[in-house]
Amino acid sequence: MSQFIQQVILGLLLGGVYVAVALGFSLVWGILNIVNLAHGALVIVGAYVTWALFTRWHVDPFLSLPVDALVLFVIGYALQRGVINRLIRAPLLFTFLLTFGLNLVIVSLLLLIFTADFRSVTTTYSGSGLELGNVIIPYIRVGGLAVALVLAGILWAILNRTRIGAAILAVGADRDAAQLVGVDLRHIYALTFAIGAAFAGVAGGIISTFQSITPTAGDPYTLQAFAVVILGGLGRVSATVAGGLAFGLIEVLGQSAPWLGSGYANAIAFVVLVVVLVVRPRGLLGRLA
Amino acid sequence: MSLLALSDVSKRFGGVNALADVSFAVEQGDVLGIIGPNGAGKTTLLNCISGLYHLDTGDIRWESASIRGLAPHRIARLGIGRTFQIVRPFPSMTVRENTAMGALFGRPGARLQPGAALSEADTVLDVVGLGEKRHYPVLRLTVPDRKRLEVARALAMRPRLLLLDEVMAGLNQVEIEQALEMVRRVRDSGVTIVLIEHVMKVIVGVCKRALVLNFGRILVEGPPADVLKDRRVIEAYLGQRYAREQERKET
Amino acid sequence: MIAREDRLPPRLRRSIFAVTMVALAYVILAPLTSIDAAQQAGLPLLTDKVWFRIVTTVLMFVVLASAWNIVGGLTGYASFGNIAFFGLGAYTVGALVANRGWPFGLALLVAPIVPALFALVIGLPLLRLRGHYFAVATLGVGVATGEVVNNVGPLGASTGLFLPIVRSDLLFFYLMLAAAGLAVLTTWVILRTRFGYGLLAIRENEEAAAVIGVNTNFYKVAAFCIAAALSGIAGGIFAQWNSFINQELVFAVSDNVQMILMAVLGGAGTALGPVAGAVVLELIIQTLAGGGSGSVYSQIGLGILLAVCVIFIPRGVIDFFGGRSKLSLRYFRQTLRETSA
Repeated sequence: MSQFIQQVILGLLLGGVYVAVALGFSLVWGILNIVNLAHGALVIVGAYVTWALFTRWHVDPFLSLPVDALVLFVIGYALQRGVINRLIRAPLLFTFLLTFGLNLVIVSLLLLIFTADFRSVTTTYSGSGLELGNVIIPYIRVGGLAVALVLAGILWAILNRTRIGAAILAVGADRDAAQLVGVDLRHIYALTFAIGAAFAGVAGGIISTFQSITPTAGDPYTLQAFAVVILGGLGRVSATVAGGLAFGLIEVLGQSAPWLGSGYANAIAFVVLVVVLVVRPRGLLGRLA
Repeated sequence: MSLLALSDVSKRFGGVNALADVSFAVEQGDVLGIIGPNGAGKTTLLNCISGLYHLDTGDIRWESASIRGLAPHRIARLGIGRTFQIVRPFPSMTVRENTAMGALFGRPGARLQPGAALSEADTVLDVVGLGEKRHYPVLRLTVPDRKRLEVARALAMRPRLLLLDEVMAGLNQVEIEQALEMVRRVRDSGVTIVLIEHVMKVIVGVCKRALVLNFGRILVEGPPADVLKDRRVIEAYLGQRYAREQERKET
Repeated sequence: MIAREDRLPPRLRRSIFAVTMVALAYVILAPLTSIDAAQQAGLPLLTDKVWFRIVTTVLMFVVLASAWNIVGGLTGYASFGNIAFFGLGAYTVGALVANRGWPFGLALLVAPIVPALFALVIGLPLLRLRGHYFAVATLGVGVATGEVVNNVGPLGASTGLFLPIVRSDLLFFYLMLAAAGLAVLTTWVILRTRFGYGLLAIRENEEAAAVIGVNTNFYKVAAFCIAAALSGIAGGIFAQWNSFINQELVFAVSDNVQMILMAVLGGAGTALGPVAGAVVLELIIQTLAGGGSGSVYSQIGLGILLAVCVIFIPRGVIDFFGGRSKLSLRYFRQTLRETSA
């Protein structure tokens, strides 16, 4: 029984990571209608920033998260404004190909700079956790979940309580109408993508605390982010949170099944994806339209 | 036996009753007009008949055989053709090719080959008045012409029932006259027609019967002239106050 | 006809035709100079190992791009998982030859069948999806299938499968050439039949297609299965040609992107577009690769090339040949304006 509770807790904690990863992805998809195949790469860039700060200046990974956010914000803004904006009215296929190309470029650059060697961030508290009876709750995982929930709260606040957020939502709802009331489309597009990238960066920082990173480590996260958004639904921050937590649970419980193993992470993501799309396209909490 | 018969058809979208308890019949040779304020459920009705939507309750019978739940392409092959309110041509094909598509896929029975379908298209295009523009790419057509194309494509299917969704929308007086003429030609060739319209002149000009939908329900049914004078219809379109004033003026 | 290849000005068309015929003849006949008999007769050797490797790879992508084109270009369903069909074809041949001792020829006959059946099963639910959803769902298929294969013992798991080596550049070249010919011919035939018109209708306006009588589900799945079979053949040939297959080699999503780019760049929706795209792009990639197609610089190059192509030439190179647009700065600027924010 405590084994099961351990699994559930681990599932929720892993879910936290997925929430963090999926928030930015969901924002960009929901508002800009761009499925960013380079999202995982942006996450890994964040992980590398945290790693670099940790190795060079011994900055605690959790403290480096704001730096991750900032670096990725700038990169994201530049990318959208300079490159992706050129394709925003083109058919979906092209943004797909474009973001795939970006993914290739980013991952390759990372390979050049950091090589394929695995890097890790190990702090003094990396291995320890809270012990409740037979159940262990690792500190870094809790930290990760906490950060994820804070991020969700921040995103919600930005979207629903600020003027910029209102502009972003307006652009997402009807870009022509938004333009007519004076919203600077290109800037808002870039800003939205930048926020999404910033969140990806923070997610990367979290990931670096418990996973060894290498330039190609981001690819699985893109597919998983997609599955999370499909599972939870588009249109609301709470949907992404629900989707992320649910997905974490599914993955942990699924991998503990006798005939599966950890090599099936992508397969599990995909199966979840297809099942949800066929059975309940709206997802757990998504809006209908 | 009616050509098409709907009984207690209803369709919901979330909490909204798009159609509720709709029942009526269409006889061979009829020209039935369907009118109603925006959002009354007219297009939903057509979508249900042509199979794009599934019914929640009720049944639709084509010559007394139920077509509920049939895939759209099967319903098309039975001899039911339709146009869309916002036209849906195939942009990369010419006028002739677009029309031929109807003949290629929509004929009950025989499967035509592309060559035969294209010849068929030529005949149909003359009926709707697009003969000279047969090689135009769709994007070169004006709005009225695109509507004609939409009708042509449906006619190429040699349908027994033709569902027209606001064919007159956006046309000026002259164009409406021409379109009316075209509808009469289609009627005279033996096709049963159900048309959704906002332009009352059309309803009066070509329909034998009219049916009024409001909030998904049938309000009134009968000869166009009577229906248009019905108080409930006026109320639905123009509001209670106006209806009351009209009544007062008439007495 | 819908294919716009017949819009060229006549003189240009004749010269392009002539050049293509010469090139085609060269490609088909030159390899024969490497046969011993030809060598003994004193014919100059027109080909070498590198030539064979490059051209056979180009031909392989012609098959893949053409197959993708049937689903993505003609029907409008951009699949990011077609590589799974290639991989399944490869592993079908690999498993039959390496594990069961089947002769290669027999195994190759089965190669299209397994992917086609897979396409049938997976296509029924997936082809109900549109746009983004379909694209990423198929991406998931590609990735997940590769992952499953990578974990299955009898299929070599992560080590991969080794096939007995067959040394014959000539054989595999002509096999791949035949496959490429088959793929192009299939597309060409499809475009001239009722089936092709139906696919195009689905691409242009699926609802309208349905109400005029096109059985959209059947047509979509059929297209998917045909593409799967063709890709499977290419995979099967590759397995024996390379004598070794693993997940990385035959389930690479970047290959899927390559085939999409080739079809789109060359002109999706035409029979010859994917050929042009495959030839041009693969030659560029081989050049960029220099020391090996896995090198980091070639990846960067490919990524940038991808971005540039997609931004500046969305309608495909065939557009220029169709007479609709001329290769000019104005064209690019106009394209940019149409697609930018």
